[in-house]
Amino acid sequence: MPYTHLDLQSHDWPFPNRYFDPAKASALYRTYVESMIHAESCGFDWVGCNEHHFSPYGMMANPNLIGGALAYPTKRVKIAMIGNLVPLNNPLRIAEEYAMLDCMSGGRLVAGLMRGIPHEYLAYNIPPGESWERQREAVQLIIKAWTEPEPFGWEGKHFQYRQVSIWPKPMQKPHPPLVISASNADSAKFAAEMRATMGMVLLADLPSGRECIRVYKETAKANGWEPTAENILVGMHTCIAETDEEARRQLAQGLKYFDEVLMGGLQASQRIVLQKTRYFETDESRDRWKSRLDKRKTLTLEEAIERGTVLCGSPETVVSQIRRIHSELGHGVFNFTVKVGTLPDEVIRRGMELFRDRVLPHVRDL
Amino acid sequence: MQPQARKVSLSSGELSYFAAGEGRPLVYLHPAGGVRWTKVLDELARSFKLHVPIMPGFDGTPAHAQVKSMKGLAALTGEFIEKVVGGTCDVIGCSFGGYLATWLAAERPPLVDHLVLECPAGFRPKGKGERPADPEALKKVLFLHPEKLPPETKTAEQEAGNRRMLPHYGFAADTDEELLARLPSIDKLTLILHGTGDRMIPKESVQLLKSRLPRAYLVYVWDAAHAIEVDQPERMLAVLTSFLERSEGFMVNWGTLAVNPG
Repeated sequence: MPYTHLDLQSHDWPFPNRYFDPAKASALYRTYVESMIHAESCGFDWVGCNEHHFSPYGMMANPNLIGGALAYPTKRVKIAMIGNLVPLNNPLRIAEEYAMLDCMSGGRLVAGLMRGIPHEYLAYNIPPGESWERQREAVQLIIKAWTEPEPFGWEGKHFQYRQVSIWPKPMQKPHPPLVISASNADSAKFAAEMRATMGMVLLADLPSGRECIRVYKETAKANGWEPTAENILVGMHTCIAETDEEARRQLAQGLKYFDEVLMGGLQASQRIVLQKTRYFETDESRDRWKSRLDKRKTLTLEEAIERGTVLCGSPETVVSQIRRIHSELGHGVFNFTVKVGTLPDEVIRRGMELFRDRVLPHVRDL
Repeated sequence: MQPQARKVSLSSGELSYFAAGEGRPLVYLHPAGGVRWTKVLDELARSFKLHVPIMPGFDGTPAHAQVKSMKGLAALTGEFIEKVVGGTCDVIGCSFGGYLATWLAAERPPLVDHLVLECPAGFRPKGKGERPADPEALKKVLFLHPEKLPPETKTAEQEAGNRRMLPHYGFAADTDEELLARLPSIDKLTLILHGTGDRMIPKESVQLLKSRLPRAYLVYVWDAAHAIEVDQPERMLAVLTSFLERSEGFMVNWGTLAVNPG
C-alpha cells in the first residue's frame, strides 16, 4: 500500500514526512480497502497486506487494522496478513491481534510471521544482529500463546513473560495457518521447521526459487512432515490488461515510481544495515540477498517477464506465464502484488476482473 | 561452591547426601541419572542451605531393602528432611526427582513449603515422550547444548546402576494414576519448569500437572531440552530464584525498562 503522490526522488532514510498529505492518504486507504473487498468478487482466495515503517513504500504500520476493516465486508476470502514483523513487535500483541482477526473473520486469517527487511530495524531501534534469534524465539512463543490449554510463563533470551493467557484465542485449531518468508536457504529452513507455508517474493529468477523450495522440502521431511503445493507461496508484481502492450505500458509506469521513488531511501538504509551489522547470519546469505536485489534492479520489464519473475500481459498471456512458472516451481499459492507504485487503481480493478473472467478459469485446476 | 559429602542414618539404612551453602533450607531431589552438580546447584548454594540426598541405589550407594516404591522413597525423603533439615523447607525435584517431590508433597505436606517440579516424570500420556536406551541417542534427547555439560564424573557402572533403580522403585513410565488422583489435594505453591525442546517429558505432562495442581505456575524455558539446568542455567535461575524469594510476586517485573535512567 504505497503512498503515490510524490513527485520527487529521495535517497535519504527516513523519507521526510513533510511530504505526507493526510487527506490524500485518507483517500488512498479507502481505495485500497475497497479494492481488496472487490478482490473477493473476482474469485481471489486470499487478500493480503504487509507491514512497513517510516517510508512511502508502504503505509501499513499495522496491517492488522486493515485486516479488521476487511473482516466484515468480506465473507469468503482469506485475510492474509503477510505479515506482522515479529522481531520488531511484542509477540504477545501479535498473538492477540491475530487471534482477534481470526475470530472476527470467522476463522479466515492467514498468519504471516515475518522477519522484516533490513531498514525496519532502524525504524524500531531493534539490533539487526538479533533479528534471527528474536524471530525464532518469538514465533515459538506466539504458537504457544495460541495453543496452550493453561496459563503459562516464558523464560527466553529475548522475551520473558511470567504468566500468559491470551483472550481471545484463534478460531482455527490448532492455530491459523502460518506463512513465513523463505527467500533464502536460512529462512526456508526455518519455515519448514515451523510447519509454515513458505513465502517467496521479488524473486531474482526461477532457479533461485527452486533452490529455496528444495531446502524447504528437505527440511520439512527431516522434521517429519510433507509440504503440499499449498505450502508454497510465490509472489510477483502483476498487471493484467486487455492487451500485452497496455499491460506493459501501465506496469512500466508503476515500476518507475516503485524503483525511483519508493525504493530510493530504502536502499540507502539497507546498505547501512547490511554493511555494519549481522542482519544476515552468514556472508553468503547477505551476498545472495544483495545480488537478488541488484539483479532485480538492473532487469528491464521485458527481461523480468522473460525470466518469469513478473506477471504482465493480456489475460491469455498471463495464463501462459502462470502455467510456465507453476511448471517450474510447483507452488500452490500465487501472490499477485497488483498495486505496484503508481499503477492506477482503475487499471488494477479492471485487471482483477480480467483475472476472474479470462485467467482463473484456465489456471484454477493447476 | 564445593559441596560436602555427608551421611545420615535413617530407619531403613544409611543415606548419603551433599550439603552446601547457608540460608533458608532447600532440598534438591536428583533425576534418574543421579546427582550432577550443575551451575544451578552451585548458584542456589550461594543463597540457600542446599541439601541433595542421593536416593538409595543411585550413584553407587546401596539400596535400602525396605524401600521399593516411590511412595516408600517419599517416606524416606520425609524422614531425611525431619532429621537433617529439621522441618519445613523448599523442595526442588528434577525429572525422576520431580515425580518423587510430588509424592512427598502428597504424603508429607507439612514438610514442603515451595515446590518446584523441573520437567517432572510420572505423568506421561501413554505412548508420548522418548527415552532411548542407546546412550548417544539419550544424550540428544537430554541436551540441546551438550557443550555446556560439566565434566562427567560417573563411571559406566554407576550409570547402569542408576538406570536399574527405576524399575526397582516401580517408576511409572507413563502416568501414575494414584498420584494423579491426589494432585488436587496438594495445596503447595508450585512452579513447574519445562524446556521448549524437551522430547522426554512431553508438554502434555506438564499441562496435565498445571491443570490439576491448585496453586501451580507453569513456565517454559526456551531453547532447553530435558536437562534445563545444563542447557539454560541462567534462565532457570532467573525464574527459580524469583519464585523462591517472592512466591506469587515472581510474576511482577521488579526491574526497570528505562534505557537511560536520569
